[in-house]
Amino acid sequence: MKALKNTCIIDDDPLFVFGMKILIKQLGNFGDLMICENGEEAIECLSELIDTKKDLPNVIFLDINMPIMDGWEFLEGFQKIPFEARKNVAIYIVSSSIDSRDLERTKKIDLVNGYILKPITPEDLSSVLEEVA
Amino acid sequence: MTTINNSAHFLIKDNPAPLAILDTELKLLNHSDEWLNEHHASTDLIDGQSFFDVFPEFPKELITVVENCLKGKSDNNSGRKFILPQGKICWYRWKINPWYDDYGNVQGLIVLLENVTEEKIEEELLLKAKKVARIGGWEVDLISSKVYWTAITREIHEVDSDYIPNLEEGISFYKEGEDRDKITFLVNEAMRNGKSWDTELRIITDKGNEVWVRAKGEAEIINGKCVRLFGTFQDIDNTKKTDLKYREVSQRLAIATSAAGVGIWEYNIPENSLIWDENMYLLYGIKKKDFKGVYEAWEKAVHPDDKSRCQKEIEMAISGEKEFDTEFRVVWPNQDIHFIKAKSIVLRDSKENPLKMIGINWDITSIREAEEKLKRLLKTTTDQNEGLSNFAHIVSHNLRSHSANLSMLSGYLLKSEESDDFAGSNEEKRDVTRMLGEASESLNETILHLNEVVQIRSDISEKIKLVSLSDAIDRVLKNIGKLLKENNANCQIKVNKKHMVLAVPAYLDSILLNLFTNSLKYSHPDRNPEISISASKRKNLIIVKFRDNGLGIDLSRYGKKLFGMYKTFHRHKDAKGIGLFITKNQIDAMGGRIGVESIVGEGTEFLLYFKT
Repeated sequence: MKALKNTCIIDDDPLFVFGMKILIKQLGNFGDLMICENGEEAIECLSELIDTKKDLPNVIFLDINMPIMDGWEFLEGFQKIPFEARKNVAIYIVSSSIDSRDLERTKKIDLVNGYILKPITPEDLSSVLEEVA
Repeated sequence: MTTINNSAHFLIKDNPAPLAILDTELKLLNHSDEWLNEHHASTDLIDGQSFFDVFPEFPKELITVVENCLKGKSDNNSGRKFILPQGKICWYRWKINPWYDDYGNVQGLIVLLENVTEEKIEEELLLKAKKVARIGGWEVDLISSKVYWTAITREIHEVDSDYIPNLEEGISFYKEGEDRDKITFLVNEAMRNGKSWDTELRIITDKGNEVWVRAKGEAEIINGKCVRLFGTFQDIDNTKKTDLKYREVSQRLAIATSAAGVGIWEYNIPENSLIWDENMYLLYGIKKKDFKGVYEAWEKAVHPDDKSRCQKEIEMAISGEKEFDTEFRVVWPNQDIHFIKAKSIVLRDSKENPLKMIGINWDITSIREAEEKLKRLLKTTTDQNEGLSNFAHIVSHNLRSHSANLSMLSGYLLKSEESDDFAGSNEEKRDVTRMLGEASESLNETILHLNEVVQIRSDISEKIKLVSLSDAIDRVLKNIGKLLKENNANCQIKVNKKHMVLAVPAYLDSILLNLFTNSLKYSHPDRNPEISISASKRKNLIIVKFRDNGLGIDLSRYGKKLFGMYKTFHRHKDAKGIGLFITKNQIDAMGGRIGVESIVGEGTEFLLYFKT
């Protein structure tokens, strides 16, 4: 199993971020962690990476329901990043929503690799690693 | 050549009849002036000339008749038709007698010849007309009790041509019952008072057919006694039956339209005149006698807001731009509003000039009312659906996120108990325990918020009442006076003291409080907060404008979410995303509406619509 260089978590919920950090630490192989509180912050961080000619994260875990800029809006912004820069980024939506409309909407967006229902488990993270790395 | 003495000559010349004396060779010996007149002959031509040469147009058959008379026979004819070689028709009436010498020898002919073409043609036409119109005549001589029927009268009765009825029999042809009773009455009246009659009745012919006839009759009264009845008898079966059929159809139509409540109108375009049937007045709830003309009635009844539109639509129909198919309201005298559906067609002449508009009206008030009710139900259903959909969203994102956290954190704790490999540091465990507490608290808070929203929606009708808007504003200003001062806020309140709104007092206070605190919370860092409130009345609504000069909200991004639960749009530590959600729920519950306008960096204006 190959290791990832870096991973990004976009979620406004400090509890979830805390839990993710513990899980990722135990599993290892997710590389450096980048945490953003909402979509807007994430877009800003990614742009900075591009400007400084650094690689974008290998995996992004994206929440839907966030203030300022939610997950859907982030995806719209992400699409505007040049394809060359973003082609190796895998995006997983991680949401507590069991609303079927959210699932349907996810399926229509090609950028998204998968939908993980909270609470996220070590097994979920392992299969992400398998798919991406 | 035979001669006639002078006195005889004058007797003939001045004879008022068209008379001519011929000799045996049919040469003219003498003639009356009337003869010349009658036959349009000129004087110089005829002396001593042959009868045939003078009138070359004489029909050959007539010449034969004349020649025959030379054999000593007289010939009379009251009128005979001749067709001349060119197809011209002429009629002659004649009397021809031979005249003799003392020895009894035929010396010539005395010819009385009249051209009766004109009167005969007229007579023939009359006869034909009678036949075509099927008018027969009849006469009853009450002295001799003789009845005379003409051929057509007999034909109409379908009796033999030699049939001779008496008065009773004549009457017995009328259909038993009201027809016979009526003619009996009319004949009696005529015989007693000399009153003439003209009526339409049914007879049963000799062959048993029922036929409509027009019977006219007059009585001749001499010395107070009726001596004669006479009149005409016309077969009007076809027209009468058509007429009856038409009446039946139009009566049926009238019953149908009145039962269906359909009114019919007709507008004569060149004459600018309008006709209504009875149903139209019923539809408009008005009485015919109360109006000078139909147009005045329409103008008075139609709703003022619909009048000019309808007039325009009529013009468009006449010009051919658009068919007349519309709806408008009428106001009944008791102020009830009725919805009228109207349709019409325009009749035009061969040059496409408009002649008439014929149209129908019917009342669709009940349909409109049912539609309104349906719309209201649909709105309630939509609102409820939206509420459910919001609830699904809240459950998915707000409730589940906490429970997911709880389960994630407790899962961690369990695992670290089970296996030493997995165990984190003590510090980590403490953090997790603390976070478990936070997660359960958040869950509790969310449930409380949801409960609050459910409470807003229930039992609203008992708490809602008319309250003074300006009193509520004063109350809230008093409560947050200190906070406003701390923020150097300036408030401009322009609300009429008389404005009353339908509201739950606590909700109204809560809404205003929330808008005030939002304006302060999201004020612009570069300037002091300016808050202005104004109110205006429109129909049955009070519209409140709540404006600030704060940060503003990007509505193109957040407009749809603005009133959602836990939606925040500013990086503010106190932004929870619950205030506007509650505000919206409170306003909705009171039957009001909330809207928003904003320019980022300039400020926000909330529009609150309250029922009154």
